[in-house]
Amino acid sequence: MTDVPIEDMPNQGGPSKAVVKRQPSHGEPVWYPYLLMAPAMITLTIVALLPFLFAVFISFHEMKFGKFGDFAGFGNYVELLSDGRFWNALGVAVLFVAIAVPLEFMLGLTGALVLSRPIWGRSVLIPFLFIPTMMAPIVVGLLWKIMLAGSWGLLSYNVIEPLGLAGETSIFASPDYALFALIFVDIWQWTPFMMLAFFAGLQALPINPFRAAAVDGANPIQRFFWLTLPMMTPLLVVIGLLRLIDAFKVFDSIFILTGGGPGTQTEMPSVLAYKMTFEFWNIGEASALAVVVWVLFFVFCNVFYQVAKKKLNAF
Amino acid sequence: MQRTLTARDAFRRKTLWTALVVAAAAFILFPVIWMIGMMVKPTDIMFARPTEWLFVPTLEHFNYVFEQKFHHYLLTSVLLGLISTLLVVIIGTPAAYSFARFEMRGKDDLFLFVLASRMAPPVCLVIPYYLIFARIDLLDTFIGLTLAYMTFNLSFYIWVLRSFCRDLPAELEDAARLEGWSRVQIFRRIVLPLLRNGIVATSVLCFIFAWNEFLFAFMLGGKAVKTLPVAIPTLITTQGVRWGEMAVVGMVALAPVLIAVFFLQRHIVRGLTMGAVKG
Repeated sequence: MTDVPIEDMPNQGGPSKAVVKRQPSHGEPVWYPYLLMAPAMITLTIVALLPFLFAVFISFHEMKFGKFGDFAGFGNYVELLSDGRFWNALGVAVLFVAIAVPLEFMLGLTGALVLSRPIWGRSVLIPFLFIPTMMAPIVVGLLWKIMLAGSWGLLSYNVIEPLGLAGETSIFASPDYALFALIFVDIWQWTPFMMLAFFAGLQALPINPFRAAAVDGANPIQRFFWLTLPMMTPLLVVIGLLRLIDAFKVFDSIFILTGGGPGTQTEMPSVLAYKMTFEFWNIGEASALAVVVWVLFFVFCNVFYQVAKKKLNAF
Repeated sequence: MQRTLTARDAFRRKTLWTALVVAAAAFILFPVIWMIGMMVKPTDIMFARPTEWLFVPTLEHFNYVFEQKFHHYLLTSVLLGLISTLLVVIIGTPAAYSFARFEMRGKDDLFLFVLASRMAPPVCLVIPYYLIFARIDLLDTFIGLTLAYMTFNLSFYIWVLRSFCRDLPAELEDAARLEGWSRVQIFRRIVLPLLRNGIVATSVLCFIFAWNEFLFAFMLGGKAVKTLPVAIPTLITTQGVRWGEMAVVGMVALAPVLIAVFFLQRHIVRGLTMGAVKG
């Protein structure tokens, strides 16, 4: 928590590390850094870049039921874009992300502020809060399958039925509420992480501006909006973006909880890509979907990288 | 005007906030506690309405889990996690060091390439993987899954370990260089020992990710190489869901995570934010 680069800390005085720019390559020959990363780069080319290029290749060909057909130009993409399920999946994803991420964000920030009050046994409590986040998504799905099982599930019987939300069937089978149930599960899994990440950010803030503010008689709300929030912004953006990327590709918990159903109510793009491939065997269109999603992700990634690098000085 | 706080006020407030956080944590963890109960809950009262809270614990679910050879899947999970993590550490450590320490042409692009392979949705990768593996007979093999796990774990490892490398002072290495140490000596005798904590923390995270992974294991493995997460949905049988058994297997799948969270603590934040937040 103390090892924030000095450049990040305003009003600290002290020597600036940025001035002592190091010699390129530390006097090592030019090839040395490349040699060190060669094995990793070759591996990543084989395991990530080549499969991606292969997916691009397939997406331009007729391919159904595992047989390669003719060159299809943009045929698969046209098919994808005119497929109602594709737009449905995008809509579901946008809804999912637009509800889940801001809620996790706000709950996380609130939690982080509470956690940074003086409390007993904080270091004992923190590991427990990591448990939902570190858990396998499939186990998360399993937990909530048990809690929200139709008719006898603890929450189904004691909370959902009295509220009249979903009768005796599981809420995951309800066309109206299944997506919200999945959003709830996502919030359960990721809010503690947001909380702890923001907490770490709060701990790393420099103390001097806060002292100055206290001297000037700023109240806690002023301090939060004029000091904490501006100084935390890059961090909030980076963590928000990361969460956005991850929320968009959630698959495992949906797979075990609803399988995209009922109907296509909870069919996120990843679930649709899975079904297109392994249920409909329409591999050409599925690859087109994969490529579209991939490009979308790359844009997000780039933004994440630029913000994290420039504003947060993180990398 | 700010009210002056007496010691007693401070004590009260601290107690209040602590109680709030403990209550929130208990609320968050309740499903896990409930699942532990399910492990030993007799089947005949499991579906009771209203919910039965008190019961005599039973081991029937454990028996079934052993009969169904779930310990094989456990072994597969452990082996696959260890092999893929070990490989990632061997390949990734020099790369992370290189990214952290040296300036070079094209570094930004290479780095973004690493990030992109981490961020890519696995479901997009699984399609080409499936087709390629089907052709070269790597479906349902350790090698195939290890390769697939590299996509997210190798890139993750490089990114996070790089942030640990950046915390090392370069002066030691410079001094050793002046003393005439070779590059290999510097790496082995200075960099590696100083990086030990970072390597351990990051590789434990890698192991957990491999351990938790579902989609690749499900699509590219499944018979000979079947991991625990893949075995869990098989308990949803045509005769109904084996809830108690699911709880048992789920808890086993959770066990390494429970150990890791206490062991890793603040490194988790650094890991899950790709090194952006130092935890």
